[in-house]
Amino acid sequence: MGVFDLKIISKHFDDPQARHLDHYETHGGYRMAKRATTMAPGDIHGEVKTSNLRGRGGAGFPTGVKWGFVPKDAETVYLVVNADESEPGTFKDRHILHWNPHLLIEGMIIASRSLRVHNAYIYIRGEMQREYRILQDALDQAYAKGYLGKRIFGSDVDLDVTICRGLGAYICGEETALLSSLEGGRGWPRLKPPFPAVKGLWGQPTIVNNVETIANLPWILEHGGQAFADVGVGRSGGLRLVSVCGHVERPGVYELPLTVTGNDLIDICGGMREGKAVKAVIPGGVSMPVLTADELDVPFEFDALQNDARIREVETAPGVKFDLGGNRTLRTMAGSGGVVVMDETTDITMAAWRILHFFADESCGQCTPCREGTGWLTQVAHRVAFGHGRAGDVELMASIADGIAGNTICALGDAAAWPTLAFITKFRQEFEDKVKNSLAHSPSAPSGTGAQAAGAS
Amino acid sequence: MPAKQLTPEIEAWIEQRWSRFPEGAAGKALTLGVLYQAQEAFGHVDTEVIDLVATRLGLTAAHVRGVATFYTMINPREVGRYHLQVCTNIGCMLEGAYKVFEHCKARLGVENKETTADGNVTLSEVECLAACGYGPVAQIAEKGKPEIPLYFEELDLETVDKILDGLEKGEVPTELGR
Repeated sequence: MGVFDLKIISKHFDDPQARHLDHYETHGGYRMAKRATTMAPGDIHGEVKTSNLRGRGGAGFPTGVKWGFVPKDAETVYLVVNADESEPGTFKDRHILHWNPHLLIEGMIIASRSLRVHNAYIYIRGEMQREYRILQDALDQAYAKGYLGKRIFGSDVDLDVTICRGLGAYICGEETALLSSLEGGRGWPRLKPPFPAVKGLWGQPTIVNNVETIANLPWILEHGGQAFADVGVGRSGGLRLVSVCGHVERPGVYELPLTVTGNDLIDICGGMREGKAVKAVIPGGVSMPVLTADELDVPFEFDALQNDARIREVETAPGVKFDLGGNRTLRTMAGSGGVVVMDETTDITMAAWRILHFFADESCGQCTPCREGTGWLTQVAHRVAFGHGRAGDVELMASIADGIAGNTICALGDAAAWPTLAFITKFRQEFEDKVKNSLAHSPSAPSGTGAQAAGAS
Repeated sequence: MPAKQLTPEIEAWIEQRWSRFPEGAAGKALTLGVLYQAQEAFGHVDTEVIDLVATRLGLTAAHVRGVATFYTMINPREVGRYHLQVCTNIGCMLEGAYKVFEHCKARLGVENKETTADGNVTLSEVECLAACGYGPVAQIAEKGKPEIPLYFEELDLETVDKILDGLEKGEVPTELGR
């Protein structure tokens, strides 16, 4: 098995003892946090750069590079951990918070030392009440031990960590919206630049990192950045937590090498349920373009999913490639690691409608293309899926999506547009057939989801 | 009815948190937290609560109202003793969440976001709860008891009936949660 045996983050998942500080320390916990307080900040940063650690929240941006954007002469720098996991299909950060909260806290101590942070915040989803309590307990334990607060581990380093809870808004997972929310306002994204690393929380340089990203830091410090890079492939270091849901035998959270392909992943999850054939797989949360069954031999790794020619490029019309900007086309992306597996019985038009319904619900309303466009898309997708489609609806959906993409402050607009275009590019016939059936006055009953009873008309 | 006041617990929480934020920023930064706790105390967030929170934190009512209406976990109207929240997003949908949701609607005799006539249960369709591998998933909030942090996972109609039976009797069957 080799690399399959290695577990960087998930070793103590399912062990209810692991969330207690004493137990965490018996497994070597907090040694790296203590070591970090004696290290030069630049040395820690060097290890993170060498490690090829890439952000695990969705964009896959190199963490060491992001940290490097903080101005060297900054007096006040903030660290914010993004624990607002809410991208449908994604449930891996909740596992870290639930089973191993001290791993996150230790990672935060390391990051804070490197970034010269004295006030760090964790923004956690409001719905995660249980994880909030687990995390607060863990923080209290760390404070009691002197691992947080004044002069941590007896050093001259001060660090406070404060939990702030969201109140139910997907958009707050977007880093600038998160900062708006953390400051106590509506979760409205901000234009970039300036990037948060330069001008973030209360106008100060701020690093926003995902839970899983930060949870990798103790291992990186213990084994060295090079070891982490060696575990990965190409420009992507380490392993990756992947959360799998849908029609596989054993859905769940798996920590896997980045070489694992879509087909490997389905095997690891015990194969398809009831021996059914796979029809479609969303590789990184529902905002990412869907893959078909014949595109699953590609490794589920950041660069491969973006560039591998075996994945068909997303189109705005048959034969017309979607322009991602800068002459780039769009295949798909590794996103948040949330994998949704759909079998042959799945009605793709229904899946598309439900995903769009979500984005329309969660649009913050600032930008017209997203605010209006996600609503229009949902209406059209609904009538197509539920058997009331009109001639030209498929083209209309593609046209609305193309009008949203790239024209909004934040990525939520793209998050609705990209999957729409991908569903239509790869399953066009299914959409066309639905419309044809409705035009023939024989509304077809949606299958495989039970959603026909949703009555959301 | 005497004017509402923030509870001593909320006051203590504000006191404890204030210093964690930069000078001049704390009042605003505490908006979400105070609103949520005020909702726990008063059941929902109406104009009176908004004014109360704004005055206490030194903010305009317009700001607090803007925040309160942005976030889905703030209820502008009274909800039932139990707030049953069923996820129907993609992961749960693939596992039959709409069957579960329809069953809840039928048994409770309510539509989405409605409350039973006796004021016992409010039913809401909610978005992803980050438990997609274990769907369909529901969460139950009991008024005045924020300590029910459980997710109810892999729901089928039988389990849902047990949960609804429990709520009818005035208890959350926590043994079915995780």
